[in-house]
Amino acid sequence: MTMMDEEVLARALRDAASGFEISPIAQDDIVAAAAAPSEPSVLPTVFRPLRRHRAPLLGAAAVIVVVSIALPLWRGEHPARVPSASNGSVQDGQKIFQNGQGPTFTPAHGTTTGSELTLPATGLSVRNSAAISGRRIESTGSVSLVVGKGRVASGFAALGRLATKLGGSVVSSSAVVGTRTSGRFSRGTIVLEVPQAAFATLVERVQTLGHATSVQTSSTDVTSQYVDLRAQITALEASRHQYLAIMTRATTISDILRVQSQLNGLQSQIEQLQGQLNVLGHQTAFATLAVAVSETRPPAPIPTRTGFARAWHDAVAGFVAGVQWIVRLAGPVLFAALLLALLWLAGRVLWRATERRRL
Amino acid sequence: MDGEVNADELRGWLAECYPQSVRTAYLLLGNRPDAEDAVQEAFLRAWRFRNSLARESSIKPWLYRVVVNTCNSKLRQEIPRWRRQDGDESLDGVATRDDAAGRVDAAGDILDALNDLPAHLRVVVVLRYYADLSEREIAVAIARQPGTVKSRLHEARRRLAQHPALRRDDDQGREEVAQ
Repeated sequence: MTMMDEEVLARALRDAASGFEISPIAQDDIVAAAAAPSEPSVLPTVFRPLRRHRAPLLGAAAVIVVVSIALPLWRGEHPARVPSASNGSVQDGQKIFQNGQGPTFTPAHGTTTGSELTLPATGLSVRNSAAISGRRIESTGSVSLVVGKGRVASGFAALGRLATKLGGSVVSSSAVVGTRTSGRFSRGTIVLEVPQAAFATLVERVQTLGHATSVQTSSTDVTSQYVDLRAQITALEASRHQYLAIMTRATTISDILRVQSQLNGLQSQIEQLQGQLNVLGHQTAFATLAVAVSETRPPAPIPTRTGFARAWHDAVAGFVAGVQWIVRLAGPVLFAALLLALLWLAGRVLWRATERRRL
Repeated sequence: MDGEVNADELRGWLAECYPQSVRTAYLLLGNRPDAEDAVQEAFLRAWRFRNSLARESSIKPWLYRVVVNTCNSKLRQEIPRWRRQDGDESLDGVATRDDAAGRVDAAGDILDALNDLPAHLRVVVVLRYYADLSEREIAVAIARQPGTVKSRLHEARRRLAQHPALRRDDDQGREEVAQ
């Protein structure tokens, strides 16, 4: 590869550049211009310490960035379980919203005072709309509860006492008791009924009697059905009154029999609708909760190992645990390193741009 | 009193660096008026921001950095392309100083070749072979890594060697150096 000779190049440049005299006037002009009052150069003085301690400052900033990124990521791998939900269901820490028609569900560890429900995590306060506006809300729910071995029966008893204490009762219950010979585990379902206002308290307290693996609640607004039934009954009663008036004016046997027949039909309809209204009123006055209770299953027996087999098993387990730890740590560290590299690049570009702008 | 001390310091700067700065700017920009303007602007800017220079740092590469940046700014924004390539005025000045026709031709040729180089290569050639800065000092002056300076110098010398105006001069120069 042909290259220009360095000495020849230097001499050519010297010759080209030395072809004119340097004007002393221009230098005087510079001194005069520099002596003229100008704005003080505050900016460089202010940033001078920053410039001198640039490396430590950048290092400290990098450490802060890495820690602030890695720590939440590390914590994010071990989230604290919050077994609470509002008007929905909880299954192993997952919250599922099912029905938004009424604040009839309280989270675990929540507090209920009268018709007002307070969520401890948010401080949100929700009033029972049925109690406030006269709306008819039908509430049902189910809880899966795991209790200790041999405690299914006592759990049933405790649930019954709880329902009674809250002004309700046990609607139904069914249980299967396991024995050693059958090899089955005890389990059962109990349906509780409590006043609507105490439903939230019931759901909350039921969860304290064991380990709740699933909580589901649903609420349905049946106000329109209730009003409709009441209106039909009112209309039918008005008709019955008219027929009674006609009855007083009837003179023949045949007229009396015909009016009586109509009155019987109306009475039957009224009683039927009244029955439906009573059932609906009961359903809205009382909420039902089905609690499935099962006992803890014993852990699978661990085969006992001794000697070399045990040592080998421990070694494999330790190796796997180590690899898991490295893989778990690699994510946040890689992310932090990538972010740090980007910050470093951006800082470098910015620094150069600032330097060029200043000079 | 303090003002006089400062003025003396500035005069020291000028005595030490002004002539070479003007000639360097001349090689970078291609004409004398722009070179003098650029150097004046650069010295005033450097003087204004002299506090930002660390005490232990050498002033020469730093001043060159300001000069180079000012020249680059002028090349990018202020001096039209046609004016940069018009070297007649400058060459007249060269001719009046040296009567040797060969020297005039050589000076014109090197200016032509420099003008044909990209600015980033022209800067390193001028700073290295005219201002006699080391690669490390050039790196400080242009705010790049020494390795970048080295590769740019290599590329610039390769391009200059291929420039038609310099081939003949290079051969003659080699002979003179040999003698």
